[in-house]
Amino acid sequence: MTTPAISVEHVWKRFRVHRERPDSLKERITSRRRGRQEEFWALRDVSLEVPHGAFYGLVGHNGSGKSSLLRILAGIYRPTRGRVVTDGRISALLELGAGFHPDLTGRENIYLNAAILGLSRRETDRLYDRIVEFSGLGDFIDTPVKHFSSGMYVRLGFSVAVHVEPQILLVDEVIAVGDEEFQRRCFDHLNRLRRRGVTIVLVTHALGFVQAHCDDATWLDHGEVRAQDAAADVVKGYVAQVNRDEIDRIELEVAAGREGVARFGTTVAIERVELLDANGRPTPVGTSLEPLTIRIHWRANDPVEWPLFSFAVENESAVHVANPGMRPPRRSMPVFVGEGHVDYRIERLLLSPGEYTLTVAAHDAAGMTVLDRREDAFVLRVQPGSDLVVGLTDLNGHWEPLAGHETAMPAVAAVGQPEVNAPPEVGSAGEGGR
Amino acid sequence: MTAATEIWGYRNLIYNLAQRELRARYKKSLLGWLWSLINPASMLAIYSVVFGVFLKVTPPVAGNGETQVFALYLFAGLVVWNYFSATVNGAIAALQASGGLLNKVYFPPACPAIANMITVLLQAVIEGTILAVVMIALGNVGPTYLLFPVLLVFVSLFSLGLGLVLSVYNVYYRDVGYLVGIFMQLLFYATPIVYPLDIVPETAQRVIRLNPLTQFVEWSRDAFYNLRWPGAGSTLIVVVSSVAAFVVGWWVFSVKARTVAEEL
Repeated sequence: MTTPAISVEHVWKRFRVHRERPDSLKERITSRRRGRQEEFWALRDVSLEVPHGAFYGLVGHNGSGKSSLLRILAGIYRPTRGRVVTDGRISALLELGAGFHPDLTGRENIYLNAAILGLSRRETDRLYDRIVEFSGLGDFIDTPVKHFSSGMYVRLGFSVAVHVEPQILLVDEVIAVGDEEFQRRCFDHLNRLRRRGVTIVLVTHALGFVQAHCDDATWLDHGEVRAQDAAADVVKGYVAQVNRDEIDRIELEVAAGREGVARFGTTVAIERVELLDANGRPTPVGTSLEPLTIRIHWRANDPVEWPLFSFAVENESAVHVANPGMRPPRRSMPVFVGEGHVDYRIERLLLSPGEYTLTVAAHDAAGMTVLDRREDAFVLRVQPGSDLVVGLTDLNGHWEPLAGHETAMPAVAAVGQPEVNAPPEVGSAGEGGR
Repeated sequence: MTAATEIWGYRNLIYNLAQRELRARYKKSLLGWLWSLINPASMLAIYSVVFGVFLKVTPPVAGNGETQVFALYLFAGLVVWNYFSATVNGAIAALQASGGLLNKVYFPPACPAIANMITVLLQAVIEGTILAVVMIALGNVGPTYLLFPVLLVFVSLFSLGLGLVLSVYNVYYRDVGYLVGIFMQLLFYATPIVYPLDIVPETAQRVIRLNPLTQFVEWSRDAFYNLRWPGAGSTLIVVVSSVAAFVVGWWVFSVKARTVAEEL
């Protein structure tokens, strides 16, 4: 087919921001100055084409205009300038379960929501069983949805939205809600729809997924197209920019917080923690699956025999991820005084991207007495590398080639439950297989 | 015209929205939809006692030449008034309430107002039927009953047109909703519902007659109470005002509602 499924031609979108919304006529009349209204352009001259059957990603910071663009594609907003031409029935998943009525049962809400998405009663009748099955709600379907857990709510909403059999599906980050298992099913289902020829436009921060599954992508930055290319390249460029921004930000923070950390009074004082990259140069962040050295600077105020250091790593959810510590020596060791440092060398940083706090402690040579302890002394920021770590950590393993019976028969198109073994974000699965 | 076909394409949504409203309305009540029967019936009973026993208001003699019940005379007018005001107020509330939805899914923004109108239309039909049953019991029967469904069509056009315009302006300025509240009270007394038209002075009558609602109310009384067909002048006012209100209302709404999702 030559006509694209979606064609966006030089679209501009202006929003009026009311400082103080003139919600009443009086305000409008009394403040004749219209200066109160500020305009801002959410989208500036955005053009893109999505061919039929493509899986298209939209990435960018919060507020970059991704969601506005998606709403324009869905017909909810009108472009201020330019035009959008779509070819095919559109279903948008901007918020799951939008339009659910709390007092109505799941069954009644399925019919209602399907109608909102443009389905006729007969079509809904036909799809009803599949919707219920996919949602996994079973007997709860006749319970008013106000008694549903938020997870059940979302499952039902997603189930309705994807069974509408759209030709074009617009998805806005909705999959981020719900538990892991459900997320996986959502991604599986998106892949299945795509194999069926459905055109999908996805707005998400799950960059690994975009990289692995999308054909093309657009990176929006403050309403403008920053890059538009094969999804993998666009994501790479975007990640690089995000990392650069983060480094700038951290350096500012470090510069601002450098004073006032000196501590006295203990035999050994932990002064600061420093990160070194593969070349031994200081770096503000660690990178997933890259070498990293954590250097702990300390000062012995009095002569002390071979102090032992350890640090605890906690992630953002306060999960205690790791706790490497030095072991007490078997024989007598040198005595130190004054400044010194100790390195903890990591061949491959197996942590997934995110922020971790380090609590650093110093013990005496026997490992019995705590000499110093710095609670949450340091924030270790880990940024994504070329391969993504999905989950808490990488397992540092590798994949062997497949074993089994080979055949000359042609492969049958995948049916049923594909990709049960691979996590949805394929970044980590590709590790040894590439 | 594309708007009309679009609305038709979304008829299932309108049907579902109306159903949702009706279902949710009687969800936790034992008598359920019977309430839409009990409410008007008890209202009619109360009026009968207040105006027939305590106040002893004498209405005009009904079409059969003997019945003279003020409660019925009043009720015939109230059926129309209730339908009108519930449609207009409902349209304003419906658009505002569906703001969260219009922001997330595309559908024609007139759908909630139309769905609301259908639910109140159902109520009007029930009330009209109650009135007809009572009238038949009193022996005040005539072919003019057929005027009532025709009247409902015109009232629908008139109030939907008005309701749509007001609803879209209410999104921009909430004052509209409050003003409508006051205006409705004014209009209620400017329409001969609680009083017969001929008790007002001649000059005032002429003005009041130009009010389309006066004509709607008169039609309803003609249908059920007076058992006579409306005159040409009255018909002209009814047809012209309702068609004009609908066309203008629809047009204004379709222009204004384009950006309504951003404002809600």
